[in-house]
Amino acid sequence: MTTAPIQAGPTSGEWDAPAGAGAAGAPGRGPLLFLIGSALVWLVVSGVFALIASIQLHTPGFLSDCPILTHGRVRVLQETAFVYGWLGTAGPALAVWILGRLSGSPLRGTSWLGVGAAFWNAGLALGLVGIAIGDGTGTALFGLPAYVHPVMLASYAAIAIAGVLAWTGRRRGPMFAAQWYAAAALFLFPWLFSAADIMLVLAPVRGVLQAVVAGWFAQGLWTLWMAPLALAGAYYVVPRLTGKTLPNYDAASLGFWCLVFVGGWTGGRHLIGGPVPAWISTLAVVTTAMLVFHYVVVALNLRPALGAGSVLRFIAFGVGSYVLGGFVDAVTAARSVAVSTQFTTFDQAQQQLALYGGVSMLLYGTLYFAIPRIAGRAWSSADLLRGHFALAATGIALLVVSLGAAGLSQGRDLADPSVSFAAMATHMQVWLLVATGAQAILLLGNLLLAVNFLETAVLKPGSGEGVAS
Amino acid sequence: MSSPSQPDPRFEKAKLGDDELLVAHEKALGPKPDERARYRLAPLMMLFAMAGVILFAATYLNRYSGRFDRSVYDETALPNAGGAAEAKVDPAVAGKRLFGTPGACVTCHQATGEGIPGVYPPLAGSEWATGSEERVIRIVLFGLKGPVRVRGTDFPGTAAMPAFGASGFAWSDEKIAAVLTYVRQEWGNKAAAVTPQQVHKIRQSVGERKEWTQDELLTVK
Ligand code: HEC
Repeated sequence: MTTAPIQAGPTSGEWDAPAGAGAAGAPGRGPLLFLIGSALVWLVVSGVFALIASIQLHTPGFLSDCPILTHGRVRVLQETAFVYGWLGTAGPALAVWILGRLSGSPLRGTSWLGVGAAFWNAGLALGLVGIAIGDGTGTALFGLPAYVHPVMLASYAAIAIAGVLAWTGRRRGPMFAAQWYAAAALFLFPWLFSAADIMLVLAPVRGVLQAVVAGWFAQGLWTLWMAPLALAGAYYVVPRLTGKTLPNYDAASLGFWCLVFVGGWTGGRHLIGGPVPAWISTLAVVTTAMLVFHYVVVALNLRPALGAGSVLRFIAFGVGSYVLGGFVDAVTAARSVAVSTQFTTFDQAQQQLALYGGVSMLLYGTLYFAIPRIAGRAWSSADLLRGHFALAATGIALLVVSLGAAGLSQGRDLADPSVSFAAMATHMQVWLLVATGAQAILLLGNLLLAVNFLETAVLKPGSGEGVAS
Repeated sequence: MSSPSQPDPRFEKAKLGDDELLVAHEKALGPKPDERARYRLAPLMMLFAMAGVILFAATYLNRYSGRFDRSVYDETALPNAGGAAEAKVDPAVAGKRLFGTPGACVTCHQATGEGIPGVYPPLAGSEWATGSEERVIRIVLFGLKGPVRVRGTDFPGTAAMPAFGASGFAWSDEKIAAVLTYVRQEWGNKAAAVTPQQVHKIRQSVGERKEWTQDELLTVK
């Protein structure tokens, strides 16, 4: 319908020149590459923790005499390194870059970007050490110790400045979908994080309300920060690589507002059957179902990603997982289903589908598109890139399926009082072993990406063929 | 789905520049010429889908929200009319629980309500328990001492019935009404329920006193 090809413009290469500057002196290149590089380090670190945590599920004695590496802490370390280190470092960097590209002018505020990047990483490193020695807050997706919260907030603000300046100073008034998502993510994180900080750490609310706030935060971090960061990349890369206007683009804004307004209310579905007033869970069930509308719009808009091309393959996989995850959420939020999937590894399967299959894959795709344009040179190896996709896709599929199967078996066993805990563990054993294999595959894939990045952007910067002529 | 000429993955050329992208999508949103007078279905279907979702949401919320009352934890329940947080309890259930509280009635009168011959008189079929509320409320509020005749048997009064209205137990009007309602309707007893108001009135009018005797009680109504 609306997919009429655009008349070919000037040669593509020309369009890829960093706007308004020669490739060598592209403003913000250093800080952006530093942010993305550090994000990859955190990605690998979290992969190692994920492997340890996964092994501990079927071999509980593994490394457990070391207090720093007990299962509880490893899980939080993995989650924090993944969410704040990988998604939360690469995501904002790419959002800033996209806002810069679409503003039509060189990035401004890049020294703030550098300072923010340095402190964000320092705070995160300190925070992970804090979690390891037992200072974590104990709240899901909010594990960082209270004392690094101010650093994280301030450094995030410094990183976001460049994005906000690019957004407000854009040449063209009307915005494109990628800009809405990127700007929303930049603005919403400080709000979420500081609100959670006040209600859970500084002046903690009491009793059941804490669970409600924690649920709201975890869900908000997902729908209002991680998902928009990933979507910003996808909405930007897909039309650029396919050369076509996004189909059903007139629904895109509805999809966006649906996510922003409805998404924040969906947290309570994790409290179904818990000691909270019924309306909190009910509202969550309803809003989770309404969110399906958002997922449908995203699927319609981004369906051209199914075309050829190695970069688009990441995005297509990401969109598929993202949308599938949304539908699974809606189904499992229904009370009758939730009672048997809640509190099992099925929850984890859903989380991995969303965070790894959805957000991570979309960010990988955006990254593969962006790095050559930021660094000014092509990726050093096409094989590493293809290998990464194969490993990531296999790893994610295995991980989600095995955790989901283990969760269903666990849910059945939990509901049957005649099944002993030992029997339940043996039923899950096989699937948990598969999950460990999947984590190993994912770690390997991420190492390929890290090596490729190292060779492309760090070891031989400026040499080799330029791409942004 | 590989196209004949796979682009080099190391650097995939963009087919659309930044500015082209903005312009193209801006145009996609703008008013479109009604090509060949065909109405575009997609937006209309979107609208229907959205309306359907909102209808579902409203119905579901209306059914399972417990009227947004913060005291309703069960999604199928509704708050009390008037929205008071206090839940209605069945006095017979509460009374049974009170009766069975360790140290309370069950210790002496037994779960069967038959008491212990010669020491603790029965409550089942007792003319005191099922008789005038005025008397039985007084017994439980202030206690009973001395000889007493129950179901045609004389109890010598070697043991005394403790006061539940004051000191030690200090049960509220509601608790006493509940336990008496239970006693008066259990073990085949079929007497009227006792209300907290009745207990309250007697508590007020009698004030403070020691245990009753059978003779004193017989003068009450
Ligand atoms: C410590 C033991 C004890 C406990 C506890 C006790 N009673 Fe009694 N109750 C007695 C005794 C002894 C008598 C007879 C008193 C007398 O001989 O004057 C009696 C008498 C009575 C009577 C009048 C005689 C009859 O059998 O109908 C009633 C009614 C009665 N109790 C109800 C209760 C109720 C209701 C409770 C709990 C709230 C209760 N009692 C708890 C010892 C007890």
